Amino acid sequence: MIETFNSLMMGFSVAFQPQVLMYAFFGCIIGTLVGMMPGLGPLAGISLLLPATFGLNPIVAIVLLAGVYYGAMYGGSTTSILMRIPGEAASVMTCVDGYAMTQQGRAGPALAIAAIGSFFAGTVGVVGLMLLAPTLADFALRFGPPEYTALLLMGLFVLAYMSGGSMLKTLAMAVLGLLLGMIGIDAMSGYTRFSFDITELGDGVGIVPVAVGLFGISEILLTAGQPEPPKVQQPTLRQLIPSREDFRYSAGPIMRGSLLGFMIGIIPGSAHIISSFVSYGIERRLSPHPERFGKGAIEGVAGPESANNAAATGAFVPMLALGIPTSPVTAVMIAAIMVHGILPGPMLIQQQPDLFWGFVASMYVGNVVLLVLNLPMVGLFVNLLRIPYAYLYPCILAFCILGCYSVSNSMIDVWIMLGMGGVGYVLRKFGFDLAPVALGLVLGPMLELSLRQSLAMSGGSYGIFLERPIAVVMLALGLLLLALALKPVLFKGRDWRSKVGLDDQAG
Amino acid sequence: MKSDQVSGLMLFALAVCVWWLNRAFPVGSLSDPGPGYVPLLLAIAFGGIGLLIAAFGGRSEPLLAIRWPEAGRAAVILIACAVATLALERIGYRLSIMVFLVFFLGVVERKKPLVVALVAAGFSLASFYVISDLLRVPLPRGPWGF
Repeated sequence: MIETFNSLMMGFSVAFQPQVLMYAFFGCIIGTLVGMMPGLGPLAGISLLLPATFGLNPIVAIVLLAGVYYGAMYGGSTTSILMRIPGEAASVMTCVDGYAMTQQGRAGPALAIAAIGSFFAGTVGVVGLMLLAPTLADFALRFGPPEYTALLLMGLFVLAYMSGGSMLKTLAMAVLGLLLGMIGIDAMSGYTRFSFDITELGDGVGIVPVAVGLFGISEILLTAGQPEPPKVQQPTLRQLIPSREDFRYSAGPIMRGSLLGFMIGIIPGSAHIISSFVSYGIERRLSPHPERFGKGAIEGVAGPESANNAAATGAFVPMLALGIPTSPVTAVMIAAIMVHGILPGPMLIQQQPDLFWGFVASMYVGNVVLLVLNLPMVGLFVNLLRIPYAYLYPCILAFCILGCYSVSNSMIDVWIMLGMGGVGYVLRKFGFDLAPVALGLVLGPMLELSLRQSLAMSGGSYGIFLERPIAVVMLALGLLLLALALKPVLFKGRDWRSKVGLDDQAG
Repeated sequence: MKSDQVSGLMLFALAVCVWWLNRAFPVGSLSDPGPGYVPLLLAIAFGGIGLLIAAFGGRSEPLLAIRWPEAGRAAVILIACAVATLALERIGYRLSIMVFLVFFLGVVERKKPLVVALVAAGFSLASFYVISDLLRVPLPRGPWGF
């Protein structure tokens, strides 16, 4: 414990460097603005900013991108509460009761509770990250190729189980992502696969063009031609102060949402989205007055907002400790770290303690920055929402082209982005969730390498996965969840998704 | 036809394409899997899942019930982006993005010419300055150095 405390103090000495503080501040501001803009969620924002981090030192780069991430989580809630427009997917549940509160003239308390809940959850998440990541990293040093294969497979099964919509569609999208990950030079044999004689594809398909295309471009294609946004309320500072009753109703949901969100954040999938849905379902079930939900219950804002922010922090645990992304956002952040020659994984905390602890400490700082900065400035930020969408979307498109091109100065990346935008548009029309594609793309090469190494180790026997206790436990857990996910498909029953309203959303 | 039946069959067709392309790579043996081994496994899984989606798709909404009211505008957006992409390395970032924005704001959205000119010129010049000059990320310049 003392060692952790000393390391954290070392981290604060890094985080309080003026340059790091400044970038944390900028990251939070940019993230808040990005989160508020429909069509630009945290993933697209981070992807577009990625090239600008190449010239920065790795600590500053990751602090900036993390600031964008949790800033965007906060920004998304502002548009949800004031305009019923979820700036990013995790804020969908906040729309329900947040906007109802706005219609009742209580936008201020809703925004304040969302900010306080996000702050509390972010802090709980960082404490969890600080305590759990080093332990998990030590444990992961025992992992060989079979354990990694089992872990990645378990991640995909968990993703299927936790998905918002159809389990089969989620699995299909994950496999599509894995197939995209097969494009390029095979690391073990040197064969160039599925490149169609395009030299640039030898390096594989990058996560940035795929992510920007699937999430940014497809969103713009879907919302093209929409009417002008509605009038925006601009609460004053005095109106932001919640009443004692608001605090009383919100305390429990904030604490439950924080713990739940962190735990869901560690496992793969669109954790922050799922966590907000699950939190809303739980709060509605626990409430003595469930009929208030949907009509402006502040618990419906406090729980989901806390959960999605805690999940955003929880996702950093496997990213830093195992080098495995559990969401598209952490996949892009891994790419950002790797550009600087640093490999996230079990050795990161030992080899780069200043990066790990500086990052952890900067998240404490970032949470305070978000709370102190955003509440008084919410009136200023909502002015962004007054820009007509007709002006906004061409500029977002230009940013997408610019961001994808500048990652590796490659026109192929821009073409991939446009192609993925079109594919994403059609897939969303058919009700497919796109997050597993981005996740599969990153996990694909890892899964292939560890599977082939495992088979080579065992002389071609799949029994190796049953001879290693850690691999057996992970595979058993994954298969159990897969079986549970298959149950409603085969027996036409109701599972947990329909109980918390996820099916409605997926549809 | 129901929407899930169509999408499931489309995924199956894509899996067949992957399998066809993957024939060019050696699959190897179980003890020494080749570069075609994992793609083959994935193609089989993809095709299987596609067929399952189609098989269980009877309760999904009819294909014709999916509305595409924004499809025309979406096609225009994609074509304009493609043209801008083609122009990027030929006439440079600033000019191609300026023309791109003039097209969207002036032709598609029919905004006032002065506003269109200000937004298009302001955005392309300011973003070039921030990204290229301040953040030192190289952006393409046209034959006239612009």
